Amino acid sequence: MMKKVYFYATCLGTAAMQETILNAIKLLRREGVEVIFKKNQTCCSQPSFNSGYFKESKRVALYNVDLFEKDYPIVVPSGSCAGMMSHDYLELFKEDSEFERVKEFSSRVTELSQYLDEVLKVEYEDKGEPLKVTWHSNCHALRIQKSIEASKNLIKKLKNVELVNLEYEEECCGFGGTFAVKEPEISNAMARAKIQDIQNTGVKYLISGDGGCLLNIDGTMRKMGLDVRGLHLYDFLLKRLEGVRL
Amino acid sequence: MKAHEEIVNIKLNDTQMRENLSNAMHTLQKNRFKVIEDKFQDWQGLRNKAKQAKNNALMSLEERLVEFEKNATKNGIKVHWASSDEDACELIYEIMKENNISKILKGKSMASEEIGLNHYLEKKGLKAIETDLGEVIIQLDGEVPVHIVVPAIHKNRYEIGKTFQEKLGAELESEPEKLNAIARKYLRDEFEGLKLGLSGVNFAMSREGAFWLIENEGNGRMCTTAPDIHIALCGIEKVMESFEDAATMVHLLTPSATGQFIPTYNNIITGPRKNGDLDGPKEVHIVLFDHHRSDMLAHKDYYEALRCIRCGACMNFCPVYDKIGGHSYQTIYPGPIGEVISPNLFGMDKTGDILNFCSLCGRCSEVCPVKIPLADLIRKLRCDKVGQGENPPFGANEHNKMEAFAFSSFANLATNGNKWRFSLSKGHYFNWFVQNFKGSLPVIKKWSAFKELPQIKKDLYKEVQNIEGVIYE
Ligand code: SF4
Repeated sequence: MMKKVYFYATCLGTAAMQETILNAIKLLRREGVEVIFKKNQTCCSQPSFNSGYFKESKRVALYNVDLFEKDYPIVVPSGSCAGMMSHDYLELFKEDSEFERVKEFSSRVTELSQYLDEVLKVEYEDKGEPLKVTWHSNCHALRIQKSIEASKNLIKKLKNVELVNLEYEEECCGFGGTFAVKEPEISNAMARAKIQDIQNTGVKYLISGDGGCLLNIDGTMRKMGLDVRGLHLYDFLLKRLEGVRL
Repeated sequence: MKAHEEIVNIKLNDTQMRENLSNAMHTLQKNRFKVIEDKFQDWQGLRNKAKQAKNNALMSLEERLVEFEKNATKNGIKVHWASSDEDACELIYEIMKENNISKILKGKSMASEEIGLNHYLEKKGLKAIETDLGEVIIQLDGEVPVHIVVPAIHKNRYEIGKTFQEKLGAELESEPEKLNAIARKYLRDEFEGLKLGLSGVNFAMSREGAFWLIENEGNGRMCTTAPDIHIALCGIEKVMESFEDAATMVHLLTPSATGQFIPTYNNIITGPRKNGDLDGPKEVHIVLFDHHRSDMLAHKDYYEALRCIRCGACMNFCPVYDKIGGHSYQTIYPGPIGEVISPNLFGMDKTGDILNFCSLCGRCSEVCPVKIPLADLIRKLRCDKVGQGENPPFGANEHNKMEAFAFSSFANLATNGNKWRFSLSKGHYFNWFVQNFKGSLPVIKKWSAFKELPQIKKDLYKEVQNIEGVIYE
């Protein structure tokens, strides 16, 4: 039977990383999955939640619960937003009468690489040149959504790609949503430390599964004029599978 | 107190401090990983057990305290109660006055820092001298601890050599052994003729009426055994039921703190010198103080922070802490645990700004040996700070109206698909962000000060509909 999923584009993806979102959808289509794109989807409410505005966050969360009402998996190309909807919503509604409804919704949320790796068990034929890359783990993906292993598994399926781990991989890059604008100097110091770690590997490509971290790290590397580039996992994967040069 | 931004900038520009901290924190992290890997079979199980033991103690705290008082008194320990920080200082001052003592030596104690003891005594013309090596260094430099376990970790050995040269008239040295020798000589002179020693408490056991102190240098033991009188200062949350419970905690504490398997010194104090004993103080006092801990205990979320065993692991792993250092927090408890307890102990109005020092990366919650959900609690405190919490810590009265307005507009937009789509397909993301957050967060300026903005070329809504097999509804 053909698989059918809801696709959650995320606010950052919709607004600033459209190419990545399109590529993520194409990765699902490659496997023959039918994709439902809700045109009225908005945001997971992470910005307000992390800033302490729980009332507003609940409104947005319930809006999502209503919008994605059918019993399909909700596939999210971001560990951060997936973690928010699959785990933090439960925390947010812990003592609420709506808890059961929210829980049903949350149980359907999965990160795209988890869906590709664990549910579809994809097999990939790498059409690219031999290449070394390093990987940045998004904190929420690592500790909340726990999707990093799946993401790395996808890279490991590419036979011409060598994955070099960062020494301080589990350290935050300083994005943290509104943190980057509330404490920009500290955020910058954190991004610089992360970039130092990346430079220590000598690798020219940094792959990550999260748009926010990439905007932060890649944006800083560009500002510094470095020749290391940040690439989103789903852009990278599709390029390798289609044999497109980076 | 310095303004938040000012102190952040000063500390971020202190490259020597940042290098010292970054090196030290990475070493502590590695040590911790290694000892857990090499020596423990069931670290997670131990964490669960500790959480349970501590929760049991907290849930029956009143009973525990009464039991402790009864059994400690039976053992000959004098038990005192203090509700506020001032009360606790006053009690210690009274004991000094009664015994005509003008100088005390202190083992390491964050509790004494919390109640501002040194300052209090100084104002009365009395002297409190630190004996923990790290505390000695910062006392000589007129600073406060930068970290709860390693108070002078922001300084390297060359800086410490200079301090000893300037303040103690010693030769300029930088070798650890030589620095140690200088400190030892200085302290030996101070220990001579000492009448009163003060210490903290790691764990107090109600069934045994005794308390447990761990340390690495032996100076703490000097403070508790050499003088005639020993006063221990103890927050009420440190009382647990049994010796076995306390032992569980000790097993977690040193690996989490410094990566040691066991501490160098375990001091279990059961009372004053008995007939026939060759040494030990003639009087042992314990001051049990509250200082807003019972308010925390009554809170449905923040009580969890009372499990804290002050191991410092959360700050050792905090990516913000090692960039700005402990002094930026401007309260005695820095790092993630500081962000949680400082507003509760000292008031939201005085310390609420430090809630910004967190990217919510969640690493603190992951490493905390007693499983305090630090990141969740920091977020909840933000909720209290913006005025949406039901039972906020005291002093949480001022709210940022502009920010509140921005987030209410955000929620309006994010619950209206048509409006959302319209605004997102029209402008580019940062424009939209700025429109919605203007006044409270000058987003673009702060972002582009350090980072290039992304290039926006496409309208996702249009493109998505062109992919075959996508149901756009
Ligand atoms: S909160 Fe946890 S990690 Fe931090 S000092 Fe306390 S016990 Fe240690």
